[in-house]
Amino acid sequence: MSRFRGAEAFAASGDDWQLLPFRFERLNGRVLVTNMVGEHLVLSGEDFEVLATGELPADSDLVRRLRAKQVIKRSGERAPLSLLALKARTRHARLAESTGLHIFVVSLRCEHSCPYCQVSRQSEDRDRYDMTLATAERGLDMTFRSPSRSLKIEFQGGEPLLNFGLIEEVVRQAEVRNRDEGRDLGFVIASNLALLSDEVLDFCARHNIHISTSLDGPADLHNRNRPRPGRDSWERAVDGIRRVRETLGVDHISALMTTTKRSLDRVRDIIDTYVDLGLRGIFLRPLSPYGFAIKTKSYSAYDAERWIDFYREGLGYILELNRQGLDLTEYFSTVILRKMLTNVEPGYVDLMSPAGIGIGALVYNYDGSVYASDEGRMLAEMGDETFRLGHLEVDTYESIMTSEALLAPLEESFALSAPMCSDCAFETYCGSDPVYHYATSGDFLGRKSESDFCRRNMAIFKHLIDLYENDEFARRTFLSWAGR
Amino acid sequence: MDANEQKSDRPTEVRFAASTTSVDAIQRAAYRFGDRFSVELLPGVDEHICILRSRDDADLDEETENFRVEVLDQTLRVRIRKETEPIRTMILAKAFSRTGVVDPQDLD
Ligand code: SF4
Repeated sequence: MSRFRGAEAFAASGDDWQLLPFRFERLNGRVLVTNMVGEHLVLSGEDFEVLATGELPADSDLVRRLRAKQVIKRSGERAPLSLLALKARTRHARLAESTGLHIFVVSLRCEHSCPYCQVSRQSEDRDRYDMTLATAERGLDMTFRSPSRSLKIEFQGGEPLLNFGLIEEVVRQAEVRNRDEGRDLGFVIASNLALLSDEVLDFCARHNIHISTSLDGPADLHNRNRPRPGRDSWERAVDGIRRVRETLGVDHISALMTTTKRSLDRVRDIIDTYVDLGLRGIFLRPLSPYGFAIKTKSYSAYDAERWIDFYREGLGYILELNRQGLDLTEYFSTVILRKMLTNVEPGYVDLMSPAGIGIGALVYNYDGSVYASDEGRMLAEMGDETFRLGHLEVDTYESIMTSEALLAPLEESFALSAPMCSDCAFETYCGSDPVYHYATSGDFLGRKSESDFCRRNMAIFKHLIDLYENDEFARRTFLSWAGR
Repeated sequence: MDANEQKSDRPTEVRFAASTTSVDAIQRAAYRFGDRFSVELLPGVDEHICILRSRDDADLDEETENFRVEVLDQTLRVRIRKETEPIRTMILAKAFSRTGVVDPQDLD
């Protein structure tokens, strides 16, 4: 016999309507209601009162809306339960698909010396700070041990092009292995493009490699953020972006900005730079609280509230440009909108619960150490090895994925059982990010009422819902972003 | 007297009837405001007494009202959770069970 009783067993006798699990949050006099899988509706205060007091009429517009979103069901009705179960299963399908992203830190060396940079700058000692072929091969073994049908191998640094020979070898070997494996295999090189040569471009073209680069905005901003000999980081990045676009196509290049205090008044200039370069989207990114960002105090000077204004202004400007006919996407919003408006989990590591560390991504450091995330590796650079999961020489995929160093933060940060998050109407859109909370507050969970992560995300969620509900053009744009 | 002086930085007391408000709901509400004020909770048989102490510059007069509303909302959340927990468990069991633990007749 089943341990579970039928739904009707829980219905209050005589009640026509039965509540399904939902959460709510007040938004300027109205009330956001999200069902068990994060589908939302916004009710007036009066309508919410009717729902809360259980005085729903037999039929009304409100009742129809609540039923359509599986917030209530008729006693004895079973289809809504099956539907919610199906949606919940779809949303969590990615969990069984671990680990999709494998980051190879092929060199710690870099010819830039950015003050906020999250990795050490070791320019000289090639033998010491480059990944060896033997280590990379072990990394490939681990990559192909993960059950994920799609595997993305990302080369990072330092500046990965300083060890381009190794990249070529890893790509070749991965392709050979994949002839038997048949995975959906992709490659990304995350480079500042200062060393981009025709040889590199040619190799990328032949192996369908995607390039991800850094672009902080206009030249003055970018070059102040990214000092290098010759003070020409921006010129080189821009030249590189153009060349990649021409050789590989615009869909093979994306740029990531680092937000510093100086960026906060310049969001339109930053976006204009992206548009001028023909890039199709921008990721309005907060500054990460790791590595040199902490050491140099650039993080403590960073004002979470000002960043939220920066984001709002930027998104407003992007929508304005879309209204004028430009097709430009804001990627952070898109991740959230996919969670809000579809049942597909986009698998963005910082917005996953259970956290995306290990499950979404693994990092193989140049020296063979394995980390739960790139940020975990950055903490290790500062002497804190909390997120070091093991070493490629001695560990297997299985031992890494069941290591205490991975399971403890996953369990302790799980949002569904975390204070505040468990009740939060935005929980399905949010994540748990144990590395962030560990770095900023010393424990994996963090106190959410004092967490900038929470404050920032909540402000974004509210802003997106507000635009979606009250601005017809934004609504259409958001639906199209979410569907991509 | 300027605006700042008017702000009460003395502790403020708020009372809730124990018959309608659970300690759990008060604690959950208090947690949400942890960045603005602290709450000392003295549970009682008839009444639960909360002593609010401002952190930084929070205006306790305004925050007290927000706290009352939040305690009401948390009371509602506690009720919804209790009422819907069995269904939630059932839906999750159906979503993730491939083991036959759940009798399909109970669900479909
Ligand atoms: S971190 Fe904040 S916004 Fe995110 S689920 Fe938790 S309470 Fe909600």
